[in-house]
Amino acid sequence: MAPVLEVEGLKKKYGSLEALKGISFKVEEGEIFGLIGPNGAGKTTTLRIISTLLTPTDGRVTFLGFDLRKNPEKFREKISYLPEEAGAYRNMKGIDYLNFMARFYAANENEAKLFVERAIGISGLGERLRDKAGTYSKGMTRKLLLARALMTRPALAILDEPTSGLDVINSLEVREMIKGFTREGVSVLLSSHNMLEVEFLSDRVALIDRGLILDCGTPQALKEKYQASNLEIVFRRAVQ
Amino acid sequence: MKNFSHLLIKEIKELLNKQLVISLVFILVIFNFIGNVTRTEMKKAMAKQKIAVLDLDRSEISRNIIGALNMANFIIEEKSGEKEKVMEEIRNSSLDLLVVIPQGFGQLASSFQPAEVETYSFLRGVSISGRTKTEVVKALLNSTNEYLSNQYLKNKIPGLDPKLLKAPIKNREFVVVKDKQAEGSRAMIIGALTAQNFILPVILMMIIMYSAQMVITAIAMEKQNKTLETLLTVPVSRGAIVMAKMLAAALVGLVSAAIYLYGFRNAFNFTDMDDISKALGGVAPVLKQLGLTVNTQGYILFGISLFLTILCALALATILGVLAEDYRTAQSLSVPLIFLVMVPYFISLFADINTMSLPAKILVLAIPFSHPFFAMQNIMFGHLNMLWLGIVYNFLFVVVLLWWTTRIFATDRVLTMKLKWRKKKVVL
Repeated sequence: MAPVLEVEGLKKKYGSLEALKGISFKVEEGEIFGLIGPNGAGKTTTLRIISTLLTPTDGRVTFLGFDLRKNPEKFREKISYLPEEAGAYRNMKGIDYLNFMARFYAANENEAKLFVERAIGISGLGERLRDKAGTYSKGMTRKLLLARALMTRPALAILDEPTSGLDVINSLEVREMIKGFTREGVSVLLSSHNMLEVEFLSDRVALIDRGLILDCGTPQALKEKYQASNLEIVFRRAVQ
Repeated sequence: MKNFSHLLIKEIKELLNKQLVISLVFILVIFNFIGNVTRTEMKKAMAKQKIAVLDLDRSEISRNIIGALNMANFIIEEKSGEKEKVMEEIRNSSLDLLVVIPQGFGQLASSFQPAEVETYSFLRGVSISGRTKTEVVKALLNSTNEYLSNQYLKNKIPGLDPKLLKAPIKNREFVVVKDKQAEGSRAMIIGALTAQNFILPVILMMIIMYSAQMVITAIAMEKQNKTLETLLTVPVSRGAIVMAKMLAAALVGLVSAAIYLYGFRNAFNFTDMDDISKALGGVAPVLKQLGLTVNTQGYILFGISLFLTILCALALATILGVLAEDYRTAQSLSVPLIFLVMVPYFISLFADINTMSLPAKILVLAIPFSHPFFAMQNIMFGHLNMLWLGIVYNFLFVVVLLWWTTRIFATDRVLTMKLKWRKKKVVL
């Protein structure tokens, strides 16, 4: 089966700072692929490039056979991106926000309605969707945004630190949401510095540090290779 | 197109929020209050006002002066007795003007010797009505002086018109504009043009400032609320995102400026519009004769100049909005734009661009917002080269700015451009 996403020799420079030094990985259909690494490793830069927010300095990114440099609009049609520090329009009701976003992806009114109904189910916010997003807690906002990212059943959902700033209960709910969606064929590329979360969610992971991928594989294979009980120890040993 | 209108509606809704509506209502209430207070004061000044007169002379001339005061819309409260006692009485009353005609006034005046009338103003504030009263009394005494001196001259030199004796030279004034000439004074023409166009610079300033502030705020709020990154990844062109923001800002800016001006006009509309029309009515044929009128083509050219200027302001504001990180920085970043609008605004009110030194003129005209401020003047005085130069300059300015703005939104710079004095920090 052809991979959904292929990243080859991806490099990114901010002036003299080399954020990515040539990373390569593939994401298969229906799999959750995790990027793990400390703050400043280059995870967000990688996700921003694939989401078409940043242009790569060098390297190649292909998604469903489309090249990022030539067809960024094809990426935007089929990809959903959830940034780490995202927010919703404070003066918009939750339901209006979902409606607003759905219309960009839907071919017609009926499809937009379908997306919104799906999002209502994913978010679990119920009647609170009738309130303005400005009145939501951080956890509620994150659920709203995750519902927005998944409602269109994108070919690839890019989730940057999906449980960032959430309490234990909300984090567990969000993880369950993500896990549930891949069963419907959605591929997920996620990043986190919470290695235990990535271990729980991901089918395969890449260890990234200082702009380089140190290793890549299933959590189980990596644990065996580095003779470690969890991914935190795997990462420490890989860095050493 | 579907996505563009979808974005546009969202932008308008975001800008027309509760805070903006409240501030606009507040502006209307404040202007209405100022207008009511000022109008009441003006009405007081125009209404019949009470003054006190102490006629110690009781001659025919003194009675004539009192009669004239009566005719001049005053209610006369005649006093009698000693001057000091009358003054004490007025000091403790609400009256604020006393005219004293001393004994012997009539005799002195009729024998053409210096005669005095005393006016006492009891100052209790700085109201307009109090000032008007004194001015009217002064004007009446001047007319009486004129009448008495004419009588004197008629007696001394019979058969000669006293007016001719006092002003033997008459001045016929003509105004020339290019190859056209008409009888009238320069002051009258300038006064009429100023009265006709005084509101125009205010309108221009409001529209430009409001639109620019709206677009800066719209982009800064996307950044502050962390919604920009998500918006940039939806399947819609970056050009549509920029244009929707600019158009929404222009529309909301226009509405805000219109409301502001409505309040402004309401507050400072002392004279009836009919009065202005009547006053201009006499000058209108002279203006027409001199070609100082604006035809349809002129209005179209002015419209083009204004439209390009608004686009310039919006494009500049969009770039500044990208530099802003939040609402607060957006407000600070709009200050330079406001200054750039204020320069041509004040120059158009108090100076003539055509008489300025060349370097100063170049500096002023380098500001793209300057051109519509001087467009009407250029159209009326036939300086069409200047007008077209301004239009071409602003068009090129708009093309460059829009290209630059779209480039910024199409690249990393929309996220990485920041106005920071310290070293830039990049999120990896």
